[in-house]
Amino acid sequence: MPPVRDAMANRGDDDEVCPVCKSSRYLNPDMQFLINPECYHKMCESCVDRIFSSGPANCPVAGCHKTLRKARFRKQTFEDINVEREVDIRRRVMQILNRREEEFDSKRAWDDFLEQREEIIANLVHGTDVAKTENDLQRYASENVRSIRANQALEVQEASSFKEQQTHEQELARLRREAAKQEYENERRELQASREDVLSRLAAGRPGDAAAIAREGKKVLLKKSSARRSEEDRIRQKQAALRNSDARKAGQTGNTADKADAAGDSGLIKGLKKIVTPEPEKPYDPFGGMVPNKRDYYTLRDFYPSSYLDPIRQDTRMQAGGYDLQEYYSRTLMEAFAGLGCFVDEEVTRRDDGDSLRSSRPVATQGSALAAVSSAGTPDAS
Amino acid sequence: MIEDDFYRTSSQFRLWSFTAASLKSLRATTNSVASDRVRAAIRRAQEARRSATSSATGTPAPDGDAGGSSSKAEEKPIECLTPEEEQQTVSYYCEQIIQLGENYKPPLPTIVRATAIQYLRRFYLTNSPMTYHPKQIMPCALFLATKTDNYYMSLRQFADGVPGDATAEDIIAPEFLVMQSLRFTFDVRHPFRGLEGGIMELQAMAQGQGTAAPHFSGSQTAASLQQGLLALPPNPNPSASSSSNLTDRIARAHHTTRELLKTAAQITDVYFLYTPAQIWLAALMLADRPLAEFYLGTKVGVADDDGAQQESPLAALRVKLRLTLNDCAAMLQAYKPLASDPDQMKTLRRIIGKKLYHCQNPEKVNLGAGGQKRIPAAAAAAAAAAGVDSGTSGSEMERLAKKRKLEQQPQQSKDIFGGELVMQRTKER
Repeated sequence: MPPVRDAMANRGDDDEVCPVCKSSRYLNPDMQFLINPECYHKMCESCVDRIFSSGPANCPVAGCHKTLRKARFRKQTFEDINVEREVDIRRRVMQILNRREEEFDSKRAWDDFLEQREEIIANLVHGTDVAKTENDLQRYASENVRSIRANQALEVQEASSFKEQQTHEQELARLRREAAKQEYENERRELQASREDVLSRLAAGRPGDAAAIAREGKKVLLKKSSARRSEEDRIRQKQAALRNSDARKAGQTGNTADKADAAGDSGLIKGLKKIVTPEPEKPYDPFGGMVPNKRDYYTLRDFYPSSYLDPIRQDTRMQAGGYDLQEYYSRTLMEAFAGLGCFVDEEVTRRDDGDSLRSSRPVATQGSALAAVSSAGTPDAS
Repeated sequence: MIEDDFYRTSSQFRLWSFTAASLKSLRATTNSVASDRVRAAIRRAQEARRSATSSATGTPAPDGDAGGSSSKAEEKPIECLTPEEEQQTVSYYCEQIIQLGENYKPPLPTIVRATAIQYLRRFYLTNSPMTYHPKQIMPCALFLATKTDNYYMSLRQFADGVPGDATAEDIIAPEFLVMQSLRFTFDVRHPFRGLEGGIMELQAMAQGQGTAAPHFSGSQTAASLQQGLLALPPNPNPSASSSSNLTDRIARAHHTTRELLKTAAQITDVYFLYTPAQIWLAALMLADRPLAEFYLGTKVGVADDDGAQQESPLAALRVKLRLTLNDCAAMLQAYKPLASDPDQMKTLRRIIGKKLYHCQNPEKVNLGAGGQKRIPAAAAAAAAAAGVDSGTSGSEMERLAKKRKLEQQPQQSKDIFGGELVMQRTKER
């Protein structure tokens, strides 16, 4: 289809002329016009190839000194070049100011935001305060890099999930349609079969039974169809339930909006929700805040001169088993200072005050109680 | 200080550290409880003997004049040991442990003996020598220490070294009792290894390989530490020979300190009152004061006389530490070996030989006899379980004990000949 439409669209302006090389469509029917969003000057494909293949160059249109790159050239979508430009600007602004409704405190704030965005777009399109607006926009973009990126990712995800959901629904509808068709077919076949059955019985039976047989056949048919109908109802209900749960699931996935960094500080957008980002989980600390090998009284060395430890260093019999003198050093020095700052008289008093009944008294009573109890068995000892 | 927190988790700190006052009151309580019990037990034994003799003579009326007067004569008050005498007794047996350790070939390591001594001392915090004679407990404590300190020795081998006619059975008979009185905490933190560490570091400093303490990493260097050591005044201790060699000086201080730790630190109460780190530093102070003070100064800083920065926690620690170490050193210095003092030996002989003999609880003499070993153990376990929850356990236990005794009496009376109730020892008397 598109080629035909292109041809149709192109046929109207046979007299179109490339402003750069002045070749007309009349001579070259395959001519394609490209534009660059820097300056929106139109030129033909062969000109783009010719001028920009060897890297960026100035726009060949007289009076326009913009530097263009080949990669940015694209086909024009809209007839009107102004519309084309506005769409481009809109796309760019929307990409930066991509806040979502759920990020705002109220509907009012969201509407304000939308209006502000339109204003910015209009400013850029009509060239009012361009420098200031661009400045604001750039600052906002640099300050909110993370939230912008998060929202973009969200959008992409939403789009893809929407597409997925649609294909899923289509698939379901197709299945339903097929099932219905199948059902209809079955019903028809059964009806046929029972009719044939009645007929054959009528042919085989005696004339007097005719009415009875016909009645019986009709009854069987009715029973079957009612059974089928209740079955259908059940299936339908099940399907409806299934559809509901699907919809709910889809809604849930849509809602998991990722909250990003807390609002633009530049104040460009107002009314954003204060986002409390949960404290990032700290890496697991097996020592509970203690620094391993931290010591307050001494600094451990790798080597201490000692006349009786030195031979161990050389002794393979000691080393072979994995004995490390370092262990000895750290243990002896630890024991040299463990408890140097524990003042027993103070700390024990404090401890005993805390649980005076439990720590010192029972020691006395325990021993005596023990003596008392064991004396019970002893008198007949000798 | 992080090292102190390590020590605070030890059972020695949690269960076996006391203030001087609480230690004294604990001993007084133990003594008074034990004395009461001894008096009661002896009275019971006498009554039993009296009834036995009266039944033996076949006197129809036991309340005759003669019987009454004899009971009067017998009921002179029993003289029990005072807490101080008890402590002396225990100290004597602690020294005996050191001697006993020498009996073996090779001699038992110092650390095993030290652990045994601490076991014995801890045991007699809550038990009285009147209840359990130290002669019985001492070998058991030593044998237990060989096990907990990972110095394997078979029981028979061990029993061979014990003087007297103690059998292997006799030695392990009170084992459960001892373990229970230790509250099953076998870990004893000794100052010996700490001393090795300190000396090791001092030697490193002397050879210019010292490292600054974490709190003084800015001001101390290996060179400055060595300079400080070299500038120390000579040891004022008169016994120390004058030698300028720093390494020799440290080695000598090491040796003296170690001897102090082996004896004075074991027999005195320092283990209950101070931490191992304080003990060895105090002992080092006795051996070579300038050296010890210099070493301490490198760790907690040197006090400035004008008291410029008294507020800092390190300064507060320094002041407290100085007092504590001085107290500890004084306690260590006050110790005199019992054997070297004939006066003390004489009083000891009196205490142990006579007084303790007379006030020994007759019901506790035979710890190792047959199945007797198990019964008190099981009962004691129950007592310990019950004793934890309330303070009334003492009287409660006594009541239970009496009840149990009453239950046993019918069985005894089934014996046609009245059973033998009289204790061997009381009979002899």
